[in-house]
Amino acid sequence: MTKTTGTPPAVSFTGAVRTYGALRAIDGVDLEIATGETVALLGRNGAGKSTTISLLLGLNEPDEGTVELFGGPPERAVRAGRVGAMLQEARAVPRVTVRELVAFVAGRYPAPLPVARALELAGIADLAGRRVDRLSGGQTQRVRFAVALAGDPSLLVLDEPTAALDVEARHVFWTSMRAYARRGHTVLFSTHYLEEADAHADRIVVIDRGRVVADGTGEQLRRAAGGNLVSVDLAGRGTEGLGLLPGVRSVEVRGDRALLRTDDSDATVVALARLGAIRGLEVTPASLDDAFLALTAPETETV
Amino acid sequence: MLDYLRLEVRRTLRDVGFVIGGIAMPVMMYLLFTNIGANDGAWKTASMVGMAAYGAVGSALNTGGGVAEDRAIGWLRQLRVTPMTPRQVVAGRALTGSVTVLPAIVAVLTAGALVNGVRLAVWQWAALALLLWLGSLPFTLLGLGNGYRLTAQTTGVVNMVCNLGLAVLGGLWFPTALFPGWLRSVSAYTPTHRFAQLGTSVADGHAPAVGAVLVLAAWSGAFGSYAVLAYRRAGRNV
Repeated sequence: MTKTTGTPPAVSFTGAVRTYGALRAIDGVDLEIATGETVALLGRNGAGKSTTISLLLGLNEPDEGTVELFGGPPERAVRAGRVGAMLQEARAVPRVTVRELVAFVAGRYPAPLPVARALELAGIADLAGRRVDRLSGGQTQRVRFAVALAGDPSLLVLDEPTAALDVEARHVFWTSMRAYARRGHTVLFSTHYLEEADAHADRIVVIDRGRVVADGTGEQLRRAAGGNLVSVDLAGRGTEGLGLLPGVRSVEVRGDRALLRTDDSDATVVALARLGAIRGLEVTPASLDDAFLALTAPETETV
Repeated sequence: MLDYLRLEVRRTLRDVGFVIGGIAMPVMMYLLFTNIGANDGAWKTASMVGMAAYGAVGSALNTGGGVAEDRAIGWLRQLRVTPMTPRQVVAGRALTGSVTVLPAIVAVLTAGALVNGVRLAVWQWAALALLLWLGSLPFTLLGLGNGYRLTAQTTGVVNMVCNLGLAVLGGLWFPTALFPGWLRSVSAYTPTHRFAQLGTSVADGHAPAVGAVLVLAAWSGAFGSYAVLAYRRAGRNV
């Protein structure tokens, strides 16, 4: 984690808790994001991503703990025009043109981008005169992105920005997002797509059941989840003892194959060979998917 | 906030439903009601005031429909993450309501003057337009209350029921003189009746009755409190 001394972090959560009835949507989140970082908030549906974002934007207040933006309450940062957001449930605003909408939002901020520049960054310069409610889903999404960055905010927050976008539109979107991040701005986006988090963020924060379960680069997450996967045909024999082999962290049976997650695949393979259990042996590096599943698997959390 | 007002007025005027229902309908009904059968000049003037009031009430309530729509699509939530304060948003909406009642009032008065040959002194036209404009405030507040309290669909229905019910009961469509006695006494307490009364007294050449102003002020207070309560309740969710 990068930490700048002197200037307060862009985002800071300390023991934040938010409950809805009996559900602890956010259950003690500690999180710090330095200015200039691009961070992905990764988690399944219902893991607590949207609650984290609404606390961060000051739309809700934590029941316990504190949430700060630039060293002050979120509301102050929002009123000062330091925050721009693309919210998840928002739909097209009817009966306005793209230019009217973006210009209106830009005008609320103390030092906005020129409207033409905002439209260009979002890749919708050619749609300026069109009515927002007559655009396709992908185009609407980009209008919402333009609305989020129109004020040239220091912190850009994007809640599942690529949900419902096709592959092509997604690619265009990320190109725009990176162009904005390169201007030295802090970007936080939530997603449940691993590849997106890995490809477009400097750092991934994995959230599960309202808690931060991992925080680091994609590479660090992969390593944390256990380096390699060794699999062999069981050929009728049981799995007893396999979990005790050197390096092995967990054993899983899929069909007739045993999957061993291991920190030291060489030692595991040698030990398997000694047991004569190397029929159909395969060694593969753990993917980020595996890492994510391992981090958020039900067994890893016993509350 | 002027930008917000401009944006919302523009959005309202681009709403075909608003233009037809809020502006064209009162004009058409006015021309219809005053040109079928035998009509004297007094009815042409009284109905002009009634229909201008009816159009103003419809337009004022429509503001609430806009609020409900904006809540449903997440636009109000989006505004909350811009530097605009909630107070500015609500005030901007109320101002939008007071601007969008003007086309209906102007359209019906113009139809009265040009088509039906209603003749009033210049000061009477000016005072009539002004009073109808100011008097529409309680209805804007009622519409805002509905918009913050209800979903987009129910707001549409409730606004329509409020609009038609209050219009008929208040004697905006037919003179209350035609009502049975008991209904006439109920009508005297409706905000719509008192609203139209502001206009008819000016058209008759005298100042608005104190009773009309008092009843309207009381309704403004009631609808205003309703709007504030509805907004507070919705506050967490917009």
